[in-house]
Amino acid sequence: MIKTSGGKQSSAFSWWLRTGKLPTALSPDGLELKFNPWHDPEDGRFTFAGAGRHYGASGTDAVSSEKRRAPTSSDRAPVLWDRSKSRTSALPKAGTSDAETAAGNGQRPVNRASPKVKPKPVEGSRLGNQPNPVTEFVGGVGEGLYGVGTETVAGVRAALTTNPVTTVRNAGRGIAGMIDAAIAAEDTPARIQASRAASAVANASARDIGRVTGTAAGNVALAAAPGAALSKAAALRRLRMARPRTTYDPPQIGWVTETTKSEKPWKAYNDAATGAQPGRAPTLMRTMADGSKRPVKFDGIQGDYMIDRKWSVVDRLRARAQILRQSQVLAEHRLIGLWEVPTPAQKAKALRLFKKMKVTNIHVKVVKP
Amino acid sequence: MIAMQVASIIAEYVVFLELTDEDELDPDTAVKMMEALAGHLEELDKGFLRELVDAFPVVAEGYSGEAQEVVRNIAHGFYLEEALAADNPERLAELEALRDARD
Repeated sequence: MIKTSGGKQSSAFSWWLRTGKLPTALSPDGLELKFNPWHDPEDGRFTFAGAGRHYGASGTDAVSSEKRRAPTSSDRAPVLWDRSKSRTSALPKAGTSDAETAAGNGQRPVNRASPKVKPKPVEGSRLGNQPNPVTEFVGGVGEGLYGVGTETVAGVRAALTTNPVTTVRNAGRGIAGMIDAAIAAEDTPARIQASRAASAVANASARDIGRVTGTAAGNVALAAAPGAALSKAAALRRLRMARPRTTYDPPQIGWVTETTKSEKPWKAYNDAATGAQPGRAPTLMRTMADGSKRPVKFDGIQGDYMIDRKWSVVDRLRARAQILRQSQVLAEHRLIGLWEVPTPAQKAKALRLFKKMKVTNIHVKVVKP
Repeated sequence: MIAMQVASIIAEYVVFLELTDEDELDPDTAVKMMEALAGHLEELDKGFLRELVDAFPVVAEGYSGEAQEVVRNIAHGFYLEEALAADNPERLAELEALRDARD
């Protein structure tokens, strides 16, 4: 499998998503890599421009003509780096060399630009009839990007949706990286690999998934839209942890009359909470063990935060019971509590209480009077 | 002597706030009033507050059962020792350790 750094893979793929063009790729030797859409329709091998069939990204599909001009040195298919690792370049016809193939097409043999990039047999290539599923997967996904390997759609989806130990993000990232590699080394014809893509994907996915499960935080099934095209596989990288989403009713905030009277600062402080109404207190209904409901009062409300202002934090039995009540009712309504206190010392007291009581859905904030 | 009388008044008030049935007194309102009381106590003159803190255990003897425990714990629950040691970090650290050990 062609290996590049994860950052380069993501960058190349992102570039392609935004521009529709392939970024300039360089081989480890510094040679520029280019895309050659021309392939022999019979065996998928590279041909020179104008020879064979054109499997371009633009969807054009031209057949060569002997009447076309003869290829020049500038038209000559550029040598791709690590072509030896590509499936087709490692799978010559039996008894047929590159030179023989080119000669058979009436073309000159490919003049390798550098001895360094001369193809070399690679372990795991198809030489000796040992298919490399990873390489085939990469090639298959790459083909799918050009709208050919529709079978691969089912392969990708089946491989991912049936594996219980993967996450959308990690699997998507792995696939996106493979797609990047496939784009960079697009040297395989479409239809040849299409039929093999599905099974190859399953192997590659297992390997990819095995690599990432060590760091996977949770086991989440992939939620893929039925009928998604393989080109949509690229969007997998942007997916995050897919969890079944439940729609909850909006919290039922009630208001009760509050008749506490005082001219002291604590009263003004409590009444100044965000969302407070004069003489009224927002409440949430708490469901008791017997099914009855009782209100829990707060001082204000702001978005998903129910605000309770504390002029002074106390550690009394009833105060602790209030913390538990608030925490429970906030959890019931999927809201967050916010205690607003006048000083950092009061905040420290509140935090200590929450820690002791293992309450995590109430935050504390210093709001000066 | 005055401290004892004031401590008795405070104790009665705290017992009411802490132990009155929820059907008679809204528990959130009770907590709100205890928080207000704590603010008042923290603002007291430190010398007088010291006398109050020392008086609560004596006043608690006049109560029984749950109410006695409530009065005995007034200084603890309202952070009165911490208010007295507000300018003494070492004492505050010591009190914090005692509070943690108590829980």
